[in-house]
Parts: sequence; structure tokens; C-alpha cells
Amino acid sequence: MVSEAPAPVVVHLSLVIGGDLRDSGGGRLGRVDDVIVRLDAEYPPVSGLLASVASRQVFVPAEAVKEIRQDAVVLGASRLDLRPFERRAQEVLLKKDVLDRQLINVDGARLVRANEIELARLDGWYRVVGVDVGLRGMARRVLPRRLAGRVSLGAFLDWASVEPFTGHVPTVRLRVPHPKLARLHPAEIADLVEAASHREGEEIMRAVGSDGELEADVFEELDAQHLREFLEERSDEEVAEVLARMEPDDAADALGDLDEHRREPVARLLPPVQRRKVRALVGFDPATAGGLMSPEFICVYDTATCAEALDRVRRSVASPDTLAWVYVMSRNRRLRAGIQIVELLRAEPAADIIDVAGHVPRVSADVEVEELARLMTDYDLTVLPVVDDRDQLLGVVTVDDVLELVLPRGWRRRFDLLGGE
Amino acid sequence: MARRVPAVHALRDRAIERGRSLRPRHRLSRPLVRLIAVVGFLGPGLIAANAGNDAGGIATYSAVGARYGFDLLWMMVVITVSLIVVQEMAARMGAVTGKGLAELIREQYGVRWSLFATTAVLIANLGICVSEFVGIGAALGLAGVPVQLSVPIAAMGLWLLVIRGSYKLAERVFVLMTIPFFAYPIAAILARPDWAAAGKAIVVPTIHTSTGYLLLFVATAGTTITPFMQLYVQSAVVERGVGVDQLNAERAEVVTGSIFANVVACFIIVATGATLYLHGHHDVGSAADAAKALEPFAGRYAELLFAVGLLGASLLAGAILPVTAAYVIAETFGFEKGISHRIREAPVFAGVITVLIVIGAAVALIPGLPVIGVLVGVQVVNGALLPILLVFIWRLSNTQELMGAYRNGHVFNVIAALTVLATSGLSITLLAVTVVAPLL
Repeated sequence: MVSEAPAPVVVHLSLVIGGDLRDSGGGRLGRVDDVIVRLDAEYPPVSGLLASVASRQVFVPAEAVKEIRQDAVVLGASRLDLRPFERRAQEVLLKKDVLDRQLINVDGARLVRANEIELARLDGWYRVVGVDVGLRGMARRVLPRRLAGRVSLGAFLDWASVEPFTGHVPTVRLRVPHPKLARLHPAEIADLVEAASHREGEEIMRAVGSDGELEADVFEELDAQHLREFLEERSDEEVAEVLARMEPDDAADALGDLDEHRREPVARLLPPVQRRKVRALVGFDPATAGGLMSPEFICVYDTATCAEALDRVRRSVASPDTLAWVYVMSRNRRLRAGIQIVELLRAEPAADIIDVAGHVPRVSADVEVEELARLMTDYDLTVLPVVDDRDQLLGVVTVDDVLELVLPRGWRRRFDLLGGE
Repeated sequence: MARRVPAVHALRDRAIERGRSLRPRHRLSRPLVRLIAVVGFLGPGLIAANAGNDAGGIATYSAVGARYGFDLLWMMVVITVSLIVVQEMAARMGAVTGKGLAELIREQYGVRWSLFATTAVLIANLGICVSEFVGIGAALGLAGVPVQLSVPIAAMGLWLLVIRGSYKLAERVFVLMTIPFFAYPIAAILARPDWAAAGKAIVVPTIHTSTGYLLLFVATAGTTITPFMQLYVQSAVVERGVGVDQLNAERAEVVTGSIFANVVACFIIVATGATLYLHGHHDVGSAADAAKALEPFAGRYAELLFAVGLLGASLLAGAILPVTAAYVIAETFGFEKGISHRIREAPVFAGVITVLIVIGAAVALIPGLPVIGVLVGVQVVNGALLPILLVFIWRLSNTQELMGAYRNGHVFNVIAALTVLATSGLSITLLAVTVVAPLL
């Protein structure tokens, strides 16, 4: 929102900085170097100044300041308490951290650059009221001090519609939730992320991350390149969380954009319904082992005992039909053998599981549903393990899923023969 | 149960339609993959370095060959190393910070420095832009196309490419525009040089103590390492979206591009050194002059090849200079930027490009334009800008806050400092000579 100057006198930051620091009697103490504000209010209040006094940098707390004017900052006390400056939470230095940097103009959903920062006395204290992104602000910065004072106040952006990036400020990192961003449409946020540098984009993404739905919406709107960048930095769990909330085809695209070795682990972490849809879309044909398999299975190392394996079954929350078999893998995670749960119960608890388990047939992810049905019939299996090209277990296909597909397809074929549909 | 099936089949159809697969695709042989990867990654580094072989560059290299034969060839090795060091820093900053050089200067050094840099870039690029359109006119003039036709058509084509095209398309066309540079090696072969002598001259420096030699040395350094190259490479790396994960590929691309550009420059020196120098034709005023002068010694084809090279070079630089100026202005003032943006999305960016192309082409059409005068003025501006820019690049790429783990290593930092110092020294010398010499 571009607004005219509010009633109180507006002070330009560029003139305050470099201006005199005076005591209450008007005597010159030093030079103002920077203005410190706290970002926790709608209009951030001035919480202190950095000044050079006798070529030493000192911190002037807000309580000591009586007046901030264009030409000088006047202190209330006649004596200056020289304290070293330490950043406190939520504090930023206006010149060092905000001026000349990018800001989000929330109303226009655009990135702007702060040419000038405007201060004014509001609700009893000096606060940041806006930023000038126009030429006047810039002219004031370039001209010598005496001429700069004559550049009149121009239209400026109300601070209420501006959000600064604070990722480069050590004390504010990730603590400011950027509440104003929530006013934007996800597509607008995505545009901002794409226009910003990676670090600033990451800051925006982290800020919307507190609202999972919004984050997923923004991810849906991002272009492939940025999507990849931001997903790559997140853990498998975080990626799955985002993907779970996205539309299945967007989620499938996103999954396809991930590094190949991460796709399967992420897919496994998705909720079952989303996983099935995403898998189908990402290329696992839903009528193959890859599309039908469930990642819920129990696979123990070949050094385990039967009792240990049973204990795993007991603690598992997976659905009973997938747990009809327990699988055994070698130390390099290759599938070695399998045992039915009933046989496992009958076996000596102290026995090594590898001694009681036997060979199991296995399929790769691209095996068609008809072949799965045939194998299950031939071997009398209710569960069939699916392995990758290194013989590592990816998931299991259960007989009910296979039946579900095989039967209706048979029906359809018959209709076709009769010239139906 | 049956209810789910149509949905599954619909999904299956869509999956097939998309043609995507989790299964790894068919693997190509490893060297082939690597070659494709390198060629496919060619972009900002190659473009920036080769845009430096523009009309002015070709004129300078031709003059070097015509005047001193192969004696200055050794210097190209030194200049190549310097160029790589400088370009790598800029590209790395682009990849790590995601910001252009002008943006970083504004954020770290304030508005005055960035305004100075912006003004200097705008003036210098406008000047060079004029010389590129003169180059286009001259190159096509050798083929008999009138300037009144060639320059406006070229300007229109370049404008459409950078304004209407996507970044990807523009980048591809720019990379293709480097193909005409292969004309120079062929021209050099046609000139039948003494290759052994040329090889020896590259390795063993021959130093003259004359002022002319020093001047050409300085001029060559100035034309090979020009401010717009660093500005372009960093901004383009940003627009290309190169992240730290692709940093090594980008570095390889920058190194390859810089070496290619300077090998081309060497061939220009060899071609003119083997002909013009040997036959006592020591003075070359422009790239077109060099092409014409070649004809009696190396044949009509050599002239034609030089013209083709000049055309490619001028077209490439004629696009890159306005784009660089637009990047810098948009970054300094915080406007939307990017070749991929439409006019409506980034009006200032498009406006700057349009103004530079229009003025560049219009001025180039003025009959009897003192091109040399324009280039001397440009040299002064660039000479003043380069040392400042290089110091900024060196310091920024060494800033922990910006670069983190990617800041200059200790050894590299020393090399970079020496490079910055030497290049700045040469640049200031050139500046002094250009300003003072006419007064003497």
C-alpha cells in the first residue's frame, strides 16, 4: 500500500545515520552509525543506536534517547553510559541488515529493494513506518549530506505491507515467522521464491513451512528447478510430509524430480493411498508388482533367532496379511529366505531363523499382475516379495490386491469378446 | 472391490502417457555421456569469454599479430590464467549466493559504489555495443550487404531473441554463435604459418622494450578481461539457476569457455602474424581491415573466414552487452530481471536492452562515425571500472557471510589477489596511457 506521509514527522534513516549524536544540552558527542529496531511489532520500535564516540563504537539504549531528528539524535541524559553492543533476539540493524537489501512487498507480491527507510514517532516511540523503493530515497543516499536533506519525502511503502529477509541476521534466523506471507496466494509465494536468491527463497519456504497445507500448495506452484532445489535439502521424512499433502500428480512430478536413490525411500514414507496413486503416476504401472506392493513387511538379518523375529512381529503395527511371512536378509541386505509366521511360531525360539527358513520365490517390480497370480497359485503363496536389481526387498504384494485386479480384468475381457462396452 | 479398478486403469494410462519410469534409463557409454554433459552444460562461461572476442578484440589481436608477429603469443597464456581466475570467482559467487555482482555490491558496499559501477557499465556497454553493430555492418559489408540493411535486421533479430525468447533458447543461440569462431583456426591454417615458431613463441616469452609493445600488451589484457564478462557470467549463472550442487560443472564450463576464447585469440594472432607481419603490413585499424588485408597473402577464403568470425563475434557481443547492462541496472535498483521474463513482467530490464540495441544500431549507421574515438572512450571507462570491480569480486568471493565454505581457499586467494593486482595495474596503465597520450 503506497500511502502519503502520516501525520507525525517522518525521519529518513539515511540522514540519521552519519548525523550527530548530541547530549541534552546540544553538545556534540559523536556520530550515529546505525539504528537498531526490534522486529516483533507491526511497526518495529527503535531499541537502540550504534554510535561512534571518540572513535569507539558504543551502544546507546533506547531509554537514553530523547529525540531522533533529521539532523541529530538528542540524548535525554547528559552523560553517556558506554556499553558494548550485543545483539538481542529479534533485533536488526537497519543500515547493515535492511537498507539496500531485498524485501517482500506483500501487497504487490513482489521483491523490492530498500533505498531508504522512514522512521516516525508512532504510539509514543520512534518506529520504522515504511521503506522508500523509489528514486527519491536513492537520490538522498547519493547526494552530499547538505543537498540530501532537501530531497523531499516521496511516496513510500507502508511497513505493514513489507516483510524483510532476515536470514543473514544471526539473532533473527528462522525466528521471525513472516506472518504477512500468509496473506499471499500460494502461486504468488512461489513466484517470490523463484525471483529471490536461493537463500532468500529458502527463508520464504521455511516461513511457510509452519503451515503444512500452505507449504504443499507453494510446492505445487514452484517450477521444476526450484522444486528440486528445495526438496533436495530436506530429509526423506520432510519430503514425504510435503508430498503427502500435494495433489497426486504434482507429488508424482516432484518424486520424479528427486534423485533416483531417494525416490523409493520417500515413496515408502507416504501414506498408503497417496503412495499408490503417486507410484502409479511416477511410472510403476499399477498392474505390476511395483504398483501393487506395500512397503510394510518384516525382514530380519540372517543372524537373528526365531524369538527375535517373533518379537519384531509382535511389535509391528503393519496389517496382518502382509505379515503372513517373515523374510531373512544377508548382511548386505539381499533377500535370502522366508518363513511363514505359523512355522516361525512352531520353531524352537532359540534356533537361528536362517536354519528354519526356506527359499522364497521373488519378483522384480515390473512383473505383470497375471504373472503374480500365476506364481502365487503355483507356490501357494499369499504374499510375494518384490526385490530390486540388487535383490534387496522393496515391498510385498498380497494376494488380495492381485485378485482385485485379476478378476475384474477377466470380466472386462469377456465383455470385450462379446462386443460389450 | 471392482470399483477401484477403472481408477487404477486410468492412472495406468496416465502413467504410460507420461512415459516416466522409476527404472533407470538405458545407459550410454561413459565418455559419451561425459562429452554430452560438458557440451550440454556450455553456457555463461563460454558466452562471457567469447563475447570478449568481439569486434574490438579481433582488431586488437589482429594488430598484435600484424605488429609483432608471434612475439606476444606467450602473453595469452598468462591472460588466460587470469581470466579463468576472475571468471571462476564471479561464477562461484553467482552459484553460491544466487545474486548478481551488482546486487552484492549494493548490499555490501552501499548505493554509491553500485551507482558508480552501474553508470560506468551503462556508458561502456553502450559504447562497445555501437562498435559491435559497426562490426556486423563491416562483416556483412565484405559480402556486399549494405549497412543500411544488415544492421537494422541484425538489431531486430537480437532484440527478438533476448526479449521474446526464454533464457534457455537465448543461451543455446549464444552458444551456437561461438561456432563461427572456428573460422579463425581455419584462417590460421590457410595462412600457412611456421607452427614450430608459433609453438615456441607461446612457451618462450619474447620481450621488447618499446612503448608500442607495452601498449599492445596492455590493450590485449584490457580487451580479454573486460568488466562486462564478470558481470554477465555471474548474473547468467544466477538466471540459469546453477546451485552449489552444479558448481563443479559450472567451473569446468567457465574454464573450458575461457580457454576456447583465448585459443581463438591465439589463432587470430597466428593468422595475422604469419601474413601481415611477414609482409610488412604492420598497421591494422579494425577487424574488417584485418580481413581485407589478409586477402592478398592468405587468399579470398581467409578474408571470408575472418568476416564470418567477425560476424559471429559481433552478433554475440551485440546481444550480451545490452543484456549485461540490463542485469546490472535491474540488480542495482531492484527491478525484475531475466531474459525469460516478458516485457510486461520486467519492463525496465527489457527497456534497457531495447535502448542499448536501438542506440547501438542507430549510431553505427551514422556515416563516417569515428569508431576508434568511441572505443578509446570505452577503454577509459572500462579501465576505471575494472580495478574496482576486480577488488570487489576478490573481496566478496572471500566473505564468510556470503560464501561460507565456498569462499576462496588460501592458495587460491593469493593467486586471485595477484591476478587482481596485476590486471588492475595493467588496466590503470591503459587508462593513464589513453588519457595522457593524446595530451603529449
